Amino acid sequence: MIDKINKISDVEWELKEGFMPNMSVPARIYISELLAQTLEEGAATQLANVATLPGILKYSLAMPDVHWGYGFPIGGVAGFDADTGIISPGGVGFDINCGVRLITTPVKASSNEMPKIKRLITELFHTVPTGVGTHAEKKLNEKELDDIMNEGAGWMVNNGYGNPHDLIRCEDNGCMKGADTAFVSKKAIARGIPQCGTLGSGNHFLEVQKTAEIMDEEAAAKFGVEKDNLCIMIHCGSRGLGHQVCTDHLKEIEAATKKYGINIPDNQLACAPIKSDEGKAYFGAMAACANYAWANRQMITHMVREVFCKIYGTEYDELKLVYDVCHNVAKFEEYEIDGRRKKVCVHRKGATRSFGPNSPDLPGDLVSVGQPVLIPGSMGTPSYLLKGTAAAMEKTFGSTCHGSGRVFSRTKAKEGMSGQEIKEDLEKRGIFVKATSNKVIAEEAPDAYKSSSEVVRVVHDAGISLKVARFEPLGVIKG
Amino acid sequence: MSFEELDHTADYLFRCRGRSPEELFSESARAMFSIMFENNDANNVGNNGTDNGTDSGSNNCSNNGSNADSDAVRVKKEIEVESDSLSNLLIDFLSELLFVAEVDCLVLSGVKPKITGNSLKAEVFGEPFVPEKHGGGTEIKGISRSGVEIEEISEDDGIYYQAEIIFDV
Repeated sequence: MIDKINKISDVEWELKEGFMPNMSVPARIYISELLAQTLEEGAATQLANVATLPGILKYSLAMPDVHWGYGFPIGGVAGFDADTGIISPGGVGFDINCGVRLITTPVKASSNEMPKIKRLITELFHTVPTGVGTHAEKKLNEKELDDIMNEGAGWMVNNGYGNPHDLIRCEDNGCMKGADTAFVSKKAIARGIPQCGTLGSGNHFLEVQKTAEIMDEEAAAKFGVEKDNLCIMIHCGSRGLGHQVCTDHLKEIEAATKKYGINIPDNQLACAPIKSDEGKAYFGAMAACANYAWANRQMITHMVREVFCKIYGTEYDELKLVYDVCHNVAKFEEYEIDGRRKKVCVHRKGATRSFGPNSPDLPGDLVSVGQPVLIPGSMGTPSYLLKGTAAAMEKTFGSTCHGSGRVFSRTKAKEGMSGQEIKEDLEKRGIFVKATSNKVIAEEAPDAYKSSSEVVRVVHDAGISLKVARFEPLGVIKG
Repeated sequence: MSFEELDHTADYLFRCRGRSPEELFSESARAMFSIMFENNDANNVGNNGTDNGTDSGSNNCSNNGSNADSDAVRVKKEIEVESDSLSNLLIDFLSELLFVAEVDCLVLSGVKPKITGNSLKAEVFGEPFVPEKHGGGTEIKGISRSGVEIEEISEDDGIYYQAEIIFDV
């Protein structure tokens, strides 16, 4: 695959206009030769197809964890002119505001931490609803759900499920502006009501980690991360609410694509002008789901704090949120393009915001450092904390990678080690796994993913986010 | 007829086949259920629980005092779906089943669709989800709207209807 693309540097490659017909900008891929060995032709084609969409600015971008997705590749970033461009549900994904948060604790991991980790993971597994067919302990009524879709994580904090500091450490303070619940269907509401405070399944997880290495002392101190401390990472999104909103609006947007005469090379790229009724309706519903997702992660954080405090004897507020990022979203942001300040609708589909120092939306104490960026590893592999950079603001619409990215299918993964074997193997390496199904463990086998360390090396070397700390897993919950 | 899992990096890709559009639709539904639950086979539904080496967490939505060994309650539901083409009808039908399974907490085991033009009525069979019995599976986020084209294939033993479907997980 790599022979068809032009090398710009060791970590940056280009697909020229003409790679696919009707591209109006080139595509750029941040990738190493090692990772490019597993780059699928389908993902490159999808990336080039995005470059044909109306109003696209600068480049269609792919992060090193890029792989074949729905419409846009996973790991794709694209900025569209807010006046003349489009918005596309396929550029966000089914799991709207799927994201990650990291919580630090004051507890130092001892050399014999495993028995306590097992207790912690077992208790968390029975407290945080996980996997298919689970409902949250708190069943919302329609009014509460509507408020959550408007207020996001703030609703949870105001109702006793967190503290005000949590909100300062969320992207957008845990609430995206522009939510319009009138465009959220009854079906989506029916799915959203019982699921706020549930983890889900697949690649979603809850992990207990140890801060294994600090690469940037100054930034780590600002972010509140200390070596050897136990941390908790949560990865999940907007659950059935977001899935249903995507399903509903894909249908509407598909009709709108035809109505507005937009030529798309692939149905999955169905899109509507940002300023059209259909585009505005999707954005309003998407923002409502994004807010629900922040509330979902906030509720899980509350449960985690209660369980952790019970087992380790810490205080609720001693568990501090480092940051919460969303990696499936479309947002309006401003960038300097050809010397002019422009409002851009940035689609991040499996990509993380990586705002540099002095960017808007950073909490006061982090303005000089940049935004914390959270990159989860796959099961059994390290996760990373990075910081956003000015280079990301210039090159990638303030974006970086979001995880490891799959290299092979679930089918192939299941042909390898069984779930039970993987579980035992990980336990020998000091990682305790609890899952609702051995099938999920087999499908999520560490080998099915790109190396998180290599993905992070590429974004670091490209300068679009810089390493701050590395975390090793001690216990994992999989849905 | 049949369904078969093909290789796809991120999601589940299935090739589904039937002797009639109705059979293609019910096979596509079976493919979807096979992702969602480990034990969803129609023959298995209604039997006692099996040890599948899985673990159940908390707050499963349907275990209202029941347990894996109790007699399963068979549930029958009716759904109606309308669309603008047969291919889109297949997608909308699967999306509707996904919705029913999630909201009513059902493990669906069989579907009998009746198609008229671009609309259908279907009887859907299943039972309440009991994690100890049905095992954990993978939640499906949505049905991909692209690449789903219903093909008519002529083979020695007759005509088949075939579609390849991506389930986003």
